[in-house]
Amino acid sequence: MGKKWNKISNYFFLLPAFLIYTSVVIGPSLYTIYLSFFKWNGVKPKVLVGLKNYINLFSKDKLFWLSLKNNLIWVVLTLVIIMALALAFALLFNREFKGRAFFRSYFYFPYTLSSILVAITWKKMYDPSIGILNESLRALSLGDFTSTYTANPNIALYCIFVAATWQGIGQPMILFLTGLQTVPKEIVEAAKIDGAGPISSFFLITIPMMKETFFIVIATLIISSMKVYDIVLGITGGGPANSTHTLATYMRAQSFLYTHYGIGAAIAVVMFLIMLLIIVPYIYFLARTD
Amino acid sequence: MKNINLRYKKNISKAFLYIGLLVLVVIWSIPILNIFLTSIKSKADYFSGMGLFELPDKIHWQNYIDAWQIGRLGMYMKNGFFVAIIKVPLGIFIEAMAAFALTRLPIKKKTLIFLYFLLGMMLPAQLALIPITIAYSKLHLINTYFGLFYAYVGFGTGFGIMVLRGFFKTIPSELDDAAKIDGCSRFQILFRIILPIAKPAISTLFIMDFLGTWNEYVLASAIINDNKMKTVPTGLMNFVGENFTDTSLLSAGAFISIIPVLIVFLIFQKNFVEGLSGAVKG
Repeated sequence: MGKKWNKISNYFFLLPAFLIYTSVVIGPSLYTIYLSFFKWNGVKPKVLVGLKNYINLFSKDKLFWLSLKNNLIWVVLTLVIIMALALAFALLFNREFKGRAFFRSYFYFPYTLSSILVAITWKKMYDPSIGILNESLRALSLGDFTSTYTANPNIALYCIFVAATWQGIGQPMILFLTGLQTVPKEIVEAAKIDGAGPISSFFLITIPMMKETFFIVIATLIISSMKVYDIVLGITGGGPANSTHTLATYMRAQSFLYTHYGIGAAIAVVMFLIMLLIIVPYIYFLARTD
Repeated sequence: MKNINLRYKKNISKAFLYIGLLVLVVIWSIPILNIFLTSIKSKADYFSGMGLFELPDKIHWQNYIDAWQIGRLGMYMKNGFFVAIIKVPLGIFIEAMAAFALTRLPIKKKTLIFLYFLLGMMLPAQLALIPITIAYSKLHLINTYFGLFYAYVGFGTGFGIMVLRGFFKTIPSELDDAAKIDGCSRFQILFRIILPIAKPAISTLFIMDFLGTWNEYVLASAIINDNKMKTVPTGLMNFVGENFTDTSLLSAGAFISIIPVLIVFLIFQKNFVEGLSGAVKG
Protein backbone atom coordinates (compact mmCIF):
# COMPACT_ATOMS: atom_id res chain seq x y z
CA MET A 1 0.00 0.00 0.00
CA GLY A 2 1.36 3.35 -1.04
CA LYS A 3 1.84 6.50 0.93
CA LYS A 4 -0.97 8.22 -0.86
CA TRP A 5 -3.41 5.51 0.15
CA ASN A 6 -2.27 5.93 3.74
CA LYS A 7 -2.98 9.64 3.58
CA ILE A 8 -6.45 9.19 2.16
CA SER A 9 -7.34 6.36 4.49
CA ASN A 10 -6.84 8.69 7.46
CA TYR A 11 -10.11 10.27 6.44
CA PHE A 12 -11.88 6.91 6.64
CA PHE A 13 -11.86 7.29 10.40
CA LEU A 14 -14.02 10.38 10.03
CA LEU A 15 -16.26 8.92 7.37
CA PRO A 16 -18.98 7.09 9.37
CA ALA A 17 -19.56 10.03 11.71
CA PHE A 18 -19.44 12.50 8.84
CA LEU A 19 -21.86 10.59 6.61
CA ILE A 20 -24.44 9.83 9.27
CA TYR A 21 -24.30 13.30 10.77
CA THR A 22 -24.49 15.05 7.42
CA SER A 23 -27.32 12.92 6.12
CA VAL A 24 -29.57 13.11 9.16
CA VAL A 25 -28.75 16.48 10.73
CA ILE A 26 -27.20 18.93 8.28
CA GLY A 27 -28.89 17.74 5.08
CA PRO A 28 -32.42 17.78 6.51
CA SER A 29 -31.76 21.13 8.22
CA LEU A 30 -30.75 22.66 4.90
CA TYR A 31 -33.77 21.10 3.24
CA THR A 32 -36.00 22.69 5.89
CA ILE A 33 -34.60 26.10 4.96
CA TYR A 34 -35.43 25.30 1.32
CA LEU A 35 -38.94 24.10 2.25
CA SER A 36 -39.65 27.32 4.13
CA PHE A 37 -39.94 29.14 0.78
CA PHE A 38 -42.73 26.83 -0.40
CA LYS A 39 -46.35 26.21 0.26
CA TRP A 40 -46.77 22.48 0.70
CA ASN A 41 -49.11 20.06 2.42
CA GLY A 42 -47.02 16.97 1.73
CA VAL A 43 -49.40 15.63 -0.93
CA LYS A 44 -49.85 18.21 -3.67
CA PRO A 45 -46.81 19.57 -5.54
CA LYS A 46 -44.82 22.28 -3.76
CA VAL A 47 -45.61 25.86 -4.76
CA LEU A 48 -42.81 28.40 -4.54
CA VAL A 49 -44.03 31.36 -2.52
CA GLY A 50 -40.76 33.12 -1.75
CA LEU A 51 -40.74 34.88 1.59
CA LYS A 52 -44.51 34.73 1.98
CA ASN A 53 -44.44 32.18 4.82
CA TYR A 54 -42.16 34.47 6.80
CA ILE A 55 -44.12 37.61 5.95
CA ASN A 56 -47.37 35.96 6.99
CA LEU A 57 -45.89 34.73 10.25
CA PHE A 58 -44.60 38.16 11.22
CA SER A 59 -47.47 40.27 9.88
CA LYS A 60 -50.60 38.18 10.47
CA ASP A 61 -49.98 35.27 12.76
CA LYS A 62 -50.83 36.20 16.35
CA LEU A 63 -50.09 32.70 17.58
CA PHE A 64 -46.59 32.90 16.14
CA TRP A 65 -45.96 36.14 18.00
CA LEU A 66 -47.33 34.61 21.18
CA SER A 67 -45.05 31.58 20.79
CA LEU A 68 -42.09 33.83 20.19
CA LYS A 69 -43.00 35.94 23.22
CA ASN A 70 -43.40 32.83 25.38
CA ASN A 71 -40.01 31.58 24.23
CA LEU A 72 -38.38 34.89 25.11
CA ILE A 73 -40.14 34.98 28.49
CA TRP A 74 -38.82 31.48 29.02
CA VAL A 75 -35.25 32.55 28.20
CA VAL A 76 -35.42 35.51 30.58
CA LEU A 77 -36.98 33.48 33.40
CA THR A 78 -34.35 30.78 32.93
CA LEU A 79 -31.48 33.25 33.00
CA VAL A 80 -32.84 35.00 36.08
CA ILE A 81 -34.38 32.28 38.20
CA ILE A 82 -32.72 29.00 37.22
CA MET A 83 -29.30 30.57 36.94
CA ALA A 84 -29.60 32.39 40.28
CA LEU A 85 -30.81 29.26 42.07
CA ALA A 86 -28.11 27.13 40.45
CA LEU A 87 -25.45 29.63 41.52
CA ALA A 88 -26.84 29.78 45.06
CA PHE A 89 -26.81 25.99 45.32
CA ALA A 90 -23.30 25.84 43.88
CA LEU A 91 -22.01 28.39 46.43
CA LEU A 92 -23.64 26.36 49.17
CA PHE A 93 -22.14 23.08 48.02
CA ASN A 94 -18.74 24.65 47.52
CA ARG A 95 -18.46 24.79 51.34
CA GLU A 96 -17.25 21.80 53.30
CA PHE A 97 -19.91 20.17 55.41
CA LYS A 98 -21.13 16.70 56.20
CA GLY A 99 -23.57 15.26 53.69
CA ARG A 100 -22.57 17.73 50.99
CA ALA A 101 -22.28 15.03 48.32
CA PHE A 102 -25.71 13.66 49.20
CA PHE A 103 -27.45 17.05 48.97
CA ARG A 104 -25.65 17.89 45.74
CA SER A 105 -26.82 14.63 44.12
CA TYR A 106 -30.30 15.07 45.55
CA PHE A 107 -30.90 18.39 43.78
CA TYR A 108 -29.20 17.18 40.64
CA PHE A 109 -31.36 14.07 40.32
CA PRO A 110 -34.47 15.57 38.64
CA TYR A 111 -32.22 16.59 35.77
CA THR A 112 -31.76 12.91 34.89
CA LEU A 113 -35.52 12.36 34.43
CA SER A 114 -37.16 12.77 31.04
CA SER A 115 -39.09 16.02 30.57
CA ILE A 116 -42.18 14.00 29.67
CA LEU A 117 -42.02 12.23 33.02
CA VAL A 118 -41.48 15.54 34.82
CA ALA A 119 -44.45 16.96 32.93
CA ILE A 120 -46.72 14.10 33.98
CA THR A 121 -45.56 14.36 37.57
CA TRP A 122 -46.19 18.11 37.73
CA LYS A 123 -49.52 17.84 36.00
CA LYS A 124 -50.61 15.84 39.03
CA MET A 125 -49.29 18.59 41.32
CA TYR A 126 -51.48 21.13 39.54
CA ASP A 127 -54.60 18.97 39.49
CA PRO A 128 -57.27 21.35 40.86
CA SER A 129 -59.20 18.71 42.80
CA ILE A 130 -56.66 16.20 44.06
CA GLY A 131 -53.28 17.85 43.38
CA ILE A 132 -51.10 18.41 46.40
CA LEU A 133 -51.02 22.21 45.97
CA ASN A 134 -54.75 22.76 46.27
CA GLU A 135 -55.16 19.94 48.78
CA SER A 136 -52.54 21.54 51.04
CA LEU A 137 -54.22 24.94 50.78
CA ARG A 138 -57.54 23.35 51.76
CA ALA A 139 -55.93 21.45 54.60
CA LEU A 140 -54.55 24.75 55.89
CA SER A 141 -58.04 26.31 55.54
CA LEU A 142 -56.72 28.54 52.79
CA GLY A 143 -59.28 27.18 50.34
CA ASP A 144 -59.87 30.65 48.90
CA PHE A 145 -56.38 30.66 47.44
CA THR A 146 -56.75 27.50 45.39
CA SER A 147 -56.11 27.88 41.71
CA THR A 148 -56.63 26.04 38.46
CA TYR A 149 -52.91 26.50 37.62
CA THR A 150 -52.24 25.08 34.17
CA ALA A 151 -55.90 25.45 33.19
CA ASN A 152 -55.63 29.21 33.63
CA PRO A 153 -54.23 30.84 30.46
CA ASN A 154 -52.78 33.74 32.45
CA ILE A 155 -50.49 31.65 34.62
CA ALA A 156 -50.15 28.32 32.80
CA LEU A 157 -46.78 29.16 31.24
CA TYR A 158 -45.35 30.13 34.62
CA CYS A 159 -46.66 26.92 36.18
CA ILE A 160 -44.79 24.94 33.51
CA PHE A 161 -41.72 27.00 34.20
CA VAL A 162 -41.84 26.06 37.90
CA ALA A 163 -41.73 22.40 36.85
CA ALA A 164 -38.80 23.16 34.54
CA THR A 165 -37.01 24.86 37.42
CA TRP A 166 -37.47 21.83 39.65
CA GLN A 167 -35.93 19.73 36.91
CA GLY A 168 -33.32 22.08 35.54
CA ILE A 169 -31.20 23.32 38.45
CA GLY A 170 -28.84 20.34 38.32
CA GLN A 171 -26.75 20.97 35.25
CA PRO A 172 -25.98 24.69 35.69
CA MET A 173 -25.31 23.97 39.38
CA ILE A 174 -22.63 21.43 38.48
CA LEU A 175 -21.10 23.80 35.93
CA PHE A 176 -20.96 26.57 38.52
CA LEU A 177 -19.47 24.19 41.10
CA THR A 178 -16.72 23.25 38.68
CA GLY A 179 -16.11 26.91 37.96
CA LEU A 180 -15.94 27.75 41.66
CA GLN A 181 -13.31 25.09 42.15
CA THR A 182 -11.05 26.83 39.65
CA VAL A 183 -11.06 30.01 41.75
CA PRO A 184 -7.85 29.73 43.84
CA LYS A 185 -8.59 29.72 47.58
CA GLU A 186 -5.45 31.76 48.25
CA ILE A 187 -6.80 34.77 46.39
CA VAL A 188 -10.06 34.72 48.31
CA GLU A 189 -8.09 34.30 51.57
CA ALA A 190 -5.81 37.19 50.66
CA ALA A 191 -8.80 39.41 50.00
CA LYS A 192 -10.21 38.46 53.37
CA ILE A 193 -6.98 39.55 55.05
CA ASP A 194 -7.20 42.82 53.13
CA GLY A 195 -10.59 43.32 54.73
CA ALA A 196 -12.95 42.28 51.96
CA GLY A 197 -16.26 40.93 53.22
CA PRO A 198 -17.79 37.79 51.75
CA ILE A 199 -20.13 39.76 49.50
CA SER A 200 -17.56 42.11 48.04
CA SER A 201 -15.07 39.30 47.51
CA PHE A 202 -17.78 37.35 45.73
CA PHE A 203 -18.52 40.18 43.33
CA LEU A 204 -14.98 41.47 42.93
CA ILE A 205 -13.06 38.19 42.80
CA THR A 206 -15.20 35.10 42.38
CA ILE A 207 -17.51 36.34 39.63
CA PRO A 208 -14.80 37.91 37.43
CA MET A 209 -12.71 34.73 37.76
CA MET A 210 -15.67 32.65 36.66
CA LYS A 211 -16.29 34.60 33.47
CA GLU A 212 -15.85 31.51 31.29
CA THR A 213 -18.19 29.44 33.43
CA PHE A 214 -20.85 32.13 33.22
CA PHE A 215 -20.47 32.22 29.48
CA ILE A 216 -20.91 28.45 29.18
CA VAL A 217 -23.89 28.41 31.55
CA ILE A 218 -25.63 31.32 29.83
CA ALA A 219 -25.06 29.89 26.36
CA THR A 220 -26.28 26.38 27.23
CA LEU A 221 -29.31 27.77 29.10
CA ILE A 222 -30.34 30.02 26.22
CA ILE A 223 -29.94 27.21 23.69
CA SER A 224 -32.02 24.80 25.76
CA SER A 225 -34.65 27.49 26.49
CA MET A 226 -35.10 28.16 22.80
CA LYS A 227 -35.65 24.42 22.26
CA VAL A 228 -38.18 23.98 25.10
CA TYR A 229 -40.73 21.46 23.91
CA ASP A 230 -41.32 18.18 25.78
CA ILE A 231 -42.32 19.70 29.09
CA VAL A 232 -44.85 22.07 27.49
CA LEU A 233 -46.24 19.31 25.34
CA GLY A 234 -46.56 17.01 28.35
CA ILE A 235 -48.28 19.49 30.67
CA THR A 236 -50.54 21.59 28.43
CA GLY A 237 -49.81 20.64 24.82
CA GLY A 238 -49.76 24.37 24.07
CA GLY A 239 -53.13 25.12 25.69
CA PRO A 240 -55.26 26.33 27.41
CA ALA A 241 -56.51 28.55 24.57
CA ASN A 242 -53.06 28.19 22.91
CA SER A 243 -51.57 30.31 25.69
CA THR A 244 -48.46 28.19 26.31
CA HIS A 245 -47.22 27.55 22.80
CA THR A 246 -43.50 27.93 22.23
CA LEU A 247 -41.86 28.07 18.83
CA ALA A 248 -41.13 24.34 19.00
CA THR A 249 -44.67 23.29 19.93
CA TYR A 250 -46.20 25.72 17.44
CA MET A 251 -43.87 24.38 14.76
CA ARG A 252 -45.12 20.88 15.57
CA ALA A 253 -48.75 21.99 15.37
CA GLN A 254 -48.30 23.74 12.03
CA SER A 255 -46.28 20.91 10.47
CA PHE A 256 -47.80 17.75 11.82
CA LEU A 257 -51.34 18.65 12.90
CA TYR A 258 -52.27 21.01 10.05
CA THR A 259 -49.62 19.69 7.58
CA HIS A 260 -48.56 23.24 6.66
CA TYR A 261 -45.00 22.06 6.06
CA GLY A 262 -43.82 25.36 4.59
CA ILE A 263 -45.03 27.36 7.57
CA GLY A 264 -43.67 24.81 10.02
CA ALA A 265 -40.32 24.95 8.26
CA ALA A 266 -40.32 28.76 8.42
CA ILE A 267 -40.99 28.65 12.19
CA ALA A 268 -38.10 26.20 12.66
CA VAL A 269 -35.84 28.51 10.66
CA VAL A 270 -36.82 31.55 12.75
CA MET A 271 -36.08 29.51 15.86
CA PHE A 272 -32.70 28.57 14.43
CA LEU A 273 -31.84 32.15 13.42
CA ILE A 274 -32.52 33.42 16.94
CA MET A 275 -30.39 30.62 18.36
CA LEU A 276 -27.62 31.47 15.94
CA LEU A 277 -27.04 34.70 17.88
CA ILE A 278 -25.85 32.46 20.72
CA ILE A 279 -24.48 29.52 18.76
CA VAL A 280 -21.92 31.51 16.77
CA PRO A 281 -20.12 33.11 19.74
CA TYR A 282 -20.45 29.88 21.72
CA ILE A 283 -18.83 27.73 19.03
CA TYR A 284 -16.15 30.36 18.59
CA PHE A 285 -15.54 30.24 22.35
CA LEU A 286 -15.38 26.43 22.47
CA ALA A 287 -12.91 26.36 19.61
CA ARG A 288 -10.75 29.13 21.09
CA THR A 289 -10.49 27.69 24.63
CA ASP A 290 -9.06 24.55 23.09
CA MET B 1 -13.52 33.57 75.49
CA LYS B 2 -13.39 34.81 71.94
CA ASN B 3 -12.70 31.30 70.75
CA ILE B 4 -15.78 29.88 72.40
CA ASN B 5 -17.85 32.66 70.93
CA LEU B 6 -16.56 31.89 67.48
CA ARG B 7 -17.28 28.20 67.78
CA TYR B 8 -20.75 29.01 69.05
CA LYS B 9 -21.33 31.23 66.05
CA LYS B 10 -20.10 28.51 63.72
CA ASN B 11 -22.46 25.94 65.22
CA ILE B 12 -25.40 28.28 64.82
CA SER B 13 -24.61 28.91 61.18
CA LYS B 14 -24.25 25.14 60.65
CA ALA B 15 -27.65 24.59 62.24
CA PHE B 16 -29.19 27.16 59.92
CA LEU B 17 -27.50 25.52 56.96
CA TYR B 18 -28.97 22.11 57.75
CA ILE B 19 -32.42 23.46 58.55
CA GLY B 20 -32.43 25.40 55.28
CA LEU B 21 -31.26 22.37 53.32
CA LEU B 22 -33.83 20.16 54.99
CA VAL B 23 -36.62 22.56 54.00
CA LEU B 24 -35.37 22.52 50.41
CA VAL B 25 -35.13 18.72 50.43
CA VAL B 26 -38.76 18.52 51.53
CA ILE B 27 -39.89 21.05 48.90
CA TRP B 28 -38.00 19.20 46.16
CA SER B 29 -39.59 15.89 47.20
CA ILE B 30 -43.20 17.14 46.93
CA PRO B 31 -43.81 16.16 43.28
CA ILE B 32 -42.66 12.60 43.95
CA LEU B 33 -44.59 12.41 47.22
CA ASN B 34 -47.67 13.67 45.41
CA ILE B 35 -47.67 10.97 42.75
CA PHE B 36 -46.91 8.32 45.35
CA LEU B 37 -49.89 9.37 47.50
CA THR B 38 -52.07 9.37 44.39
CA SER B 39 -50.85 6.03 43.14
CA ILE B 40 -51.82 3.94 46.17
CA LYS B 41 -55.54 4.68 45.98
CA SER B 42 -58.14 3.00 43.84
CA LYS B 43 -60.54 4.78 41.52
CA ALA B 44 -63.31 4.09 44.01
CA ASP B 45 -61.40 5.92 46.72
CA TYR B 46 -61.47 9.05 44.59
CA PHE B 47 -65.14 8.74 43.77
CA SER B 48 -65.87 8.54 47.47
CA GLY B 49 -64.18 11.94 47.78
CA MET B 50 -61.09 10.84 49.67
CA GLY B 51 -58.54 13.64 50.08
CA LEU B 52 -54.93 13.35 48.96
CA PHE B 53 -53.56 13.09 52.50
CA GLU B 54 -55.98 10.40 53.67
CA LEU B 55 -54.72 6.87 53.42
CA PRO B 56 -57.11 4.25 52.04
CA ASP B 57 -58.02 1.25 54.18
CA LYS B 58 -56.25 -0.97 51.75
CA ILE B 59 -53.23 0.22 49.80
CA HIS B 60 -54.03 -0.33 46.14
CA TRP B 61 -50.77 -1.85 44.86
CA GLN B 62 -52.76 -3.25 41.93
CA ASN B 63 -52.19 0.13 40.18
CA TYR B 64 -48.52 -0.70 39.87
CA ILE B 65 -49.18 -4.13 38.41
CA ASP B 66 -51.71 -2.63 35.99
CA ALA B 67 -49.36 0.16 34.90
CA TRP B 68 -46.65 -2.39 34.27
CA GLN B 69 -48.82 -4.84 32.34
CA ILE B 70 -51.95 -3.17 30.96
CA GLY B 71 -50.20 0.20 30.67
CA ARG B 72 -47.30 -1.63 28.97
CA LEU B 73 -44.64 0.23 30.96
CA GLY B 74 -42.67 -2.98 31.29
CA MET B 75 -42.56 -3.24 27.52
CA TYR B 76 -41.63 0.42 27.03
CA MET B 77 -38.74 -0.02 29.44
CA LYS B 78 -37.56 -3.16 27.70
CA ASN B 79 -37.65 -1.29 24.36
CA GLY B 80 -35.88 1.73 25.85
CA PHE B 81 -33.17 -0.47 27.26
CA PHE B 82 -32.72 -2.28 23.96
CA VAL B 83 -32.48 0.98 22.01
CA ALA B 84 -30.00 2.57 24.39
CA ILE B 85 -27.80 -0.48 24.88
CA ILE B 86 -27.26 -0.75 21.13
CA LYS B 87 -27.21 2.91 20.18
CA VAL B 88 -24.77 4.07 22.85
CA PRO B 89 -21.79 1.73 22.15
CA LEU B 90 -22.37 2.11 18.41
CA GLY B 91 -22.36 5.90 18.72
CA ILE B 92 -19.27 5.92 20.93
CA PHE B 93 -17.43 3.65 18.48
CA ILE B 94 -18.14 6.02 15.59
CA GLU B 95 -17.39 9.12 17.67
CA ALA B 96 -14.15 7.63 18.98
CA MET B 97 -12.92 6.96 15.45
CA ALA B 98 -13.69 10.53 14.46
CA ALA B 99 -12.14 11.99 17.61
CA PHE B 100 -9.07 9.82 17.02
CA ALA B 101 -8.71 11.20 13.49
CA LEU B 102 -9.20 14.76 14.73
CA THR B 103 -6.54 14.49 17.43
CA ARG B 104 -3.92 12.05 16.15
CA LEU B 105 -4.01 11.60 12.38
CA PRO B 106 -2.54 14.04 9.84
CA ILE B 107 -5.71 15.56 8.46
CA LYS B 108 -6.33 18.94 6.92
CA LYS B 109 -8.75 21.53 8.33
CA LYS B 110 -9.16 19.74 11.66
CA THR B 111 -10.65 22.71 13.47
CA LEU B 112 -13.13 23.38 10.73
CA ILE B 113 -14.28 19.75 10.73
CA PHE B 114 -14.61 19.86 14.51
CA LEU B 115 -16.71 23.05 14.32
CA TYR B 116 -18.91 21.38 11.71
CA PHE B 117 -19.66 18.55 14.14
CA LEU B 118 -20.13 20.94 17.08
CA LEU B 119 -22.91 22.72 15.23
CA GLY B 120 -25.05 19.58 15.46
CA MET B 121 -24.87 19.67 19.25
CA MET B 122 -26.83 22.91 19.25
CA LEU B 123 -29.20 22.63 16.32
CA PRO B 124 -32.77 22.05 17.41
CA ALA B 125 -34.07 18.67 16.24
CA GLN B 126 -37.13 20.56 15.01
CA LEU B 127 -35.04 22.10 12.25
CA ALA B 128 -34.47 18.66 10.70
CA LEU B 129 -37.75 17.07 11.67
CA ILE B 130 -39.96 17.61 8.60
CA PRO B 131 -37.41 16.28 6.06
CA ILE B 132 -36.54 13.36 8.34
CA THR B 133 -40.19 12.38 8.64
CA ILE B 134 -40.73 12.65 4.89
CA ALA B 135 -37.53 10.83 3.92
CA TYR B 136 -38.12 8.12 6.51
CA SER B 137 -41.61 7.40 5.28
CA LYS B 138 -40.35 7.21 1.70
CA LEU B 139 -37.53 4.87 2.70
CA HIS B 140 -39.84 2.80 4.92
CA LEU B 141 -37.80 3.64 7.99
CA ILE B 142 -40.77 4.77 10.09
CA ASN B 143 -41.27 2.22 12.88
CA THR B 144 -37.84 0.71 12.49
CA TYR B 145 -35.21 0.75 15.20
CA PHE B 146 -32.60 1.12 12.48
CA GLY B 147 -34.15 4.48 11.61
CA LEU B 148 -34.13 5.50 15.24
CA PHE B 149 -30.49 4.42 15.76
CA TYR B 150 -29.46 6.28 12.66
CA ALA B 151 -31.04 9.55 13.78
CA TYR B 152 -29.75 9.15 17.35
CA VAL B 153 -26.20 8.46 16.22
CA GLY B 154 -26.35 11.47 13.88
CA PHE B 155 -27.60 13.86 16.54
CA GLY B 156 -25.15 12.45 19.12
CA THR B 157 -21.94 12.91 17.15
CA GLY B 158 -21.38 16.56 18.16
CA PHE B 159 -21.42 16.00 21.89
CA GLY B 160 -19.62 12.65 21.73
CA ILE B 161 -16.80 13.93 19.53
CA MET B 162 -16.38 16.99 21.74
CA VAL B 163 -16.05 14.91 24.90
CA LEU B 164 -13.74 12.27 23.42
CA ARG B 165 -11.60 14.73 21.52
CA GLY B 166 -11.11 16.76 24.70
CA PHE B 167 -9.88 13.66 26.49
CA PHE B 168 -7.81 12.19 23.66
CA LYS B 169 -5.86 15.43 23.47
CA THR B 170 -4.57 14.94 27.00
CA ILE B 171 -3.00 11.58 26.08
CA PRO B 172 0.70 12.13 25.21
CA SER B 173 1.57 11.44 21.57
CA GLU B 174 4.78 9.64 22.61
CA LEU B 175 2.59 6.64 23.30
CA ASP B 176 1.49 6.53 19.66
CA ASP B 177 5.04 6.90 18.43
CA ALA B 178 6.22 4.01 20.57
CA ALA B 179 3.34 1.85 19.35
CA LYS B 180 4.08 2.77 15.75
CA ILE B 181 7.69 1.64 16.17
CA ASP B 182 6.33 -1.64 17.55
CA GLY B 183 4.41 -2.00 14.30
CA CYS B 184 0.89 -1.16 15.50
CA SER B 185 -1.63 -0.06 12.88
CA ARG B 186 -3.85 2.98 13.41
CA PHE B 187 -6.73 0.77 14.47
CA GLN B 188 -4.54 -1.02 16.96
CA ILE B 189 -3.34 2.28 18.40
CA LEU B 190 -6.93 3.41 18.83
CA PHE B 191 -8.18 0.17 20.38
CA ARG B 192 -5.18 -1.02 22.37
CA ILE B 193 -3.79 2.28 23.60
CA ILE B 194 -6.11 5.26 23.34
CA LEU B 195 -9.44 3.69 24.28
CA PRO B 196 -8.16 1.88 27.40
CA ILE B 197 -6.59 5.11 28.66
CA ALA B 198 -9.77 7.06 27.87
CA LYS B 199 -11.91 4.73 29.99
CA PRO B 200 -13.03 7.45 32.46
CA ALA B 201 -14.21 9.74 29.64
CA ILE B 202 -15.89 6.85 27.85
CA SER B 203 -17.74 5.63 30.92
CA THR B 204 -19.04 9.14 31.61
CA LEU B 205 -20.10 9.56 28.02
CA PHE B 206 -21.67 6.11 28.06
CA ILE B 207 -23.83 6.76 31.07
CA MET B 208 -24.87 10.27 29.99
CA ASP B 209 -25.66 9.11 26.50
CA PHE B 210 -27.56 6.13 27.87
CA LEU B 211 -29.87 8.33 29.92
CA GLY B 212 -30.12 10.86 27.11
CA THR B 213 -31.26 8.11 24.75
CA TRP B 214 -33.60 6.65 27.36
CA ASN B 215 -35.22 10.09 27.80
CA GLU B 216 -35.30 11.25 24.18
CA TYR B 217 -38.73 12.31 22.95
CA VAL B 218 -38.72 14.56 19.86
CA LEU B 219 -37.14 12.14 17.38
CA ALA B 220 -38.72 9.04 18.91
CA SER B 221 -42.19 10.56 18.60
CA ALA B 222 -41.58 11.30 14.92
CA ILE B 223 -40.03 7.96 13.99
CA ILE B 224 -41.85 5.39 16.13
CA ASN B 225 -45.63 5.34 16.30
CA ASP B 226 -46.18 1.60 16.72
CA ASN B 227 -47.11 1.10 20.37
CA LYS B 228 -45.21 -2.17 20.57
CA MET B 229 -41.95 -0.41 19.67
CA LYS B 230 -42.19 2.75 21.77
CA THR B 231 -39.58 3.74 24.34
CA VAL B 232 -40.41 5.19 27.75
CA PRO B 233 -41.14 8.91 27.02
CA THR B 234 -43.27 8.22 23.94
CA GLY B 235 -44.85 5.27 25.73
CA LEU B 236 -45.68 7.48 28.70
CA MET B 237 -47.41 9.99 26.43
CA ASN B 238 -49.39 7.11 25.01
CA PHE B 239 -50.17 5.88 28.49
CA VAL B 240 -51.47 9.37 29.38
CA GLY B 241 -53.65 9.39 26.28
CA GLU B 242 -55.16 6.00 27.08
CA ASN B 243 -55.72 6.51 30.80
CA PHE B 244 -56.17 10.24 31.23
CA THR B 245 -59.15 9.72 33.52
CA ASP B 246 -57.40 7.19 35.72
CA THR B 247 -55.28 9.42 37.91
CA SER B 248 -54.01 6.73 40.23
CA LEU B 249 -52.90 4.46 37.41
CA LEU B 250 -51.08 7.34 35.73
CA SER B 251 -49.33 8.22 38.96
CA ALA B 252 -48.28 4.63 39.49
CA GLY B 253 -46.87 4.61 35.95
CA ALA B 254 -44.95 7.83 36.55
CA PHE B 255 -43.63 6.51 39.85
CA ILE B 256 -42.45 3.26 38.26
CA SER B 257 -40.67 5.19 35.50
CA ILE B 258 -38.60 7.07 38.05
CA ILE B 259 -37.18 3.91 39.63
CA PRO B 260 -34.78 2.64 36.91
CA VAL B 261 -33.38 6.14 36.40
CA LEU B 262 -32.90 6.50 40.14
CA ILE B 263 -31.03 3.19 40.32
CA VAL B 264 -28.74 4.12 37.43
CA PHE B 265 -28.17 7.52 38.99
CA LEU B 266 -27.32 6.09 42.41
CA ILE B 267 -24.78 3.68 40.92
CA PHE B 268 -23.15 6.15 38.55
CA GLN B 269 -23.72 9.53 40.22
CA LYS B 270 -20.00 10.30 40.22
CA ASN B 271 -20.09 10.23 36.42
CA PHE B 272 -22.73 12.93 36.35
CA VAL B 273 -21.63 15.15 39.14
CA GLU B 274 -17.92 15.02 38.44
CA GLY B 275 -17.71 13.95 34.83
CA LEU B 276 -19.83 16.65 33.28
CA SER B 277 -17.41 19.51 33.90
CA GLY B 278 -14.69 18.07 31.71
CA ALA B 279 -17.23 17.13 29.11
CA VAL B 280 -18.70 20.56 28.59
CA LYS B 281 -15.43 22.41 28.65
CA GLY B 282 -14.00 20.07 26.04
